[in-house]
Amino acid sequence: MITFGKGNLRIPKWSKRVFMVAGGCTPFRKYYPEYKLEELVMMAYKMMLEENNLKLSPLEIKDSINFAVYGEFADHFQDQLLCEAKIHDYLGLDPLYNVGIKTGGATGGASVLMGAQAIASGYANCCLVAGWERMDEVDTRTGNFYISTAACKDFETRMGRIYSSYYAPMANRFAWAYDLNDSVRAKIAIKNRHYATMNPNAQQPGDHTEEEVLKSRMSAYPLRFLECCAMTAGAASVLLCDEEMAYKLSDHPVEVFIAGGTHTLRVADRRPMDIPLLPNEKPGMYKEFLAKNPRWPGFESFLAARFAAYLTYRMAGIQEPIEELDLVELHDAFTISDVQTYGDIGLRPYGQEVDYVTSGDAYFGGKCPSNLSGGLLGTMHAVGATGIWQSAECLWQVQNKYDQFHGDAKWWKRAGKKKPKNWTSLQVKDAKQALWVSHAGVGSHVTVGILRKAW
Amino acid sequence: MAENYEKAIKTKYIGKPLTLHDEKPAWVVDSPRAMSHIHTYGLLTPFFQGLTQGKLMATKCTNPKCPHPSVWLPPRADCPDCYERMKWVKVPSQGTIYTFTLVDYAGIGVEMKTPYWQIDVAIKGVDTIFKGYLESGKPEIGMKVKAKFRTENPTHTILDVCWVPA
Repeated sequence: MITFGKGNLRIPKWSKRVFMVAGGCTPFRKYYPEYKLEELVMMAYKMMLEENNLKLSPLEIKDSINFAVYGEFADHFQDQLLCEAKIHDYLGLDPLYNVGIKTGGATGGASVLMGAQAIASGYANCCLVAGWERMDEVDTRTGNFYISTAACKDFETRMGRIYSSYYAPMANRFAWAYDLNDSVRAKIAIKNRHYATMNPNAQQPGDHTEEEVLKSRMSAYPLRFLECCAMTAGAASVLLCDEEMAYKLSDHPVEVFIAGGTHTLRVADRRPMDIPLLPNEKPGMYKEFLAKNPRWPGFESFLAARFAAYLTYRMAGIQEPIEELDLVELHDAFTISDVQTYGDIGLRPYGQEVDYVTSGDAYFGGKCPSNLSGGLLGTMHAVGATGIWQSAECLWQVQNKYDQFHGDAKWWKRAGKKKPKNWTSLQVKDAKQALWVSHAGVGSHVTVGILRKAW
Repeated sequence: MAENYEKAIKTKYIGKPLTLHDEKPAWVVDSPRAMSHIHTYGLLTPFFQGLTQGKLMATKCTNPKCPHPSVWLPPRADCPDCYERMKWVKVPSQGTIYTFTLVDYAGIGVEMKTPYWQIDVAIKGVDTIFKGYLESGKPEIGMKVKAKFRTENPTHTILDVCWVPA
């Protein structure tokens, strides 16, 4: 729809408050021959139960769970239908009901949203949200093709058979419209891959120069290999609770706000419309912008992300995102998708996205750092797990546990790595509020979630 | 046959053994797949037929009560704004490049020799943008292009249309 009815813009309202208390994940890798899928999910689940300073024992928590939501992107990759049943059984949770969620790259965020709805409605008071993907059963180019079937198979898939070729046209249009250059995109790849060097679970950490990024192999012009996320095998999980259960389990629960938006599978079908304004934006402020770029959201921006932010900020009472958020985890599947989102979620007004990076705001120590986890570029994109893992990284930041989960030598050992000598903490001081974006397709589904310190 | 249900049967393995892809750190087997999908173009069949006849067919909402009557290419049968069935219209075979990319590293099964230019074309009178590839030349945003149709030996896919500089 390109105009809204009153009911379309209703702000979601939980019937009960929703909290997150724990997270877990596997190390992330390209190839994971050591473990079967259910074994990987068990690893993430056990980390969640055992390592989050919860006040009940793992088996007592198991006895408390009463619903489960599972995220998986593509049956193609697992080569197994109803993985949810195998995983749920493997975790010993039958006959509690579970549902499988599939919304492309936003599967993880959507899984948290569904779990939150179960808590908010009272259906459950302790809900497991877990997600996975094992993209290592097929070779990379077959994997590229599988992912490209998340473009329209009649009109788009054949035009590239690789997702970078659906993002690259947006990058070229964005550069044309808003003066984005290669150097800024490279800076994002360098930043996120560098932060990944501090994350024991990261698949492709690295300290790169701008020249290395821009000379890395071209995938689809202008996007180079080092600007694209990897295919990953791995799993992640978080635990959601109602208020009473949250404080029974944890002295440091965080409150959850999350909502979603969608838009056409094909970017090309996006007809121009008025910009739904965030709480910090004033009517008329985009008049000149729209005179120059009359096709909003066009190929430059994501209505799905804007709509999700529109709802979530109002759910959570956020007035000035860049001032009130202490950190963000964005969906940097490609450098360009990262840039596009800055405007959608109001880190900058539309047309000024680049300034979020060049001003230094996006860096550790900046006003609102992004992807301190290493993001999708540096750490992982095991698609069904991604939005769940991002929320766990936000949780640990708000709980002041970055060092506990990234600095402890045991995690480096678990990942088969040595903790780097130059390891430094990326804990944001006094972080109270974090946002994460879970994003699918070329913006077909997006959730925006906020975790707020609740103790 | 019915009588088989009453017999003892000796079962023979008729599959193809899997090969071991890796033996360490765990057994990893190669599990081949080969399959074909039967896929319908449904109500969009006139569009794909149109390509083989050298024309671009779009759908247009002609409902006077529709809040946002639009012309769709790629076409869709039903209007998402008013839910009425739309009408087929022929649209111009010329347009301008809205954006583009060079596809250098493509996924498996790609049907064009890489690298090639993928382009998104704005067509006058059409409310959407139409993705395709540029058969010859080098694209720029705003460049004029015209459609070229594969009327001989059609692929029966979207690749039956591509673009060349106008």
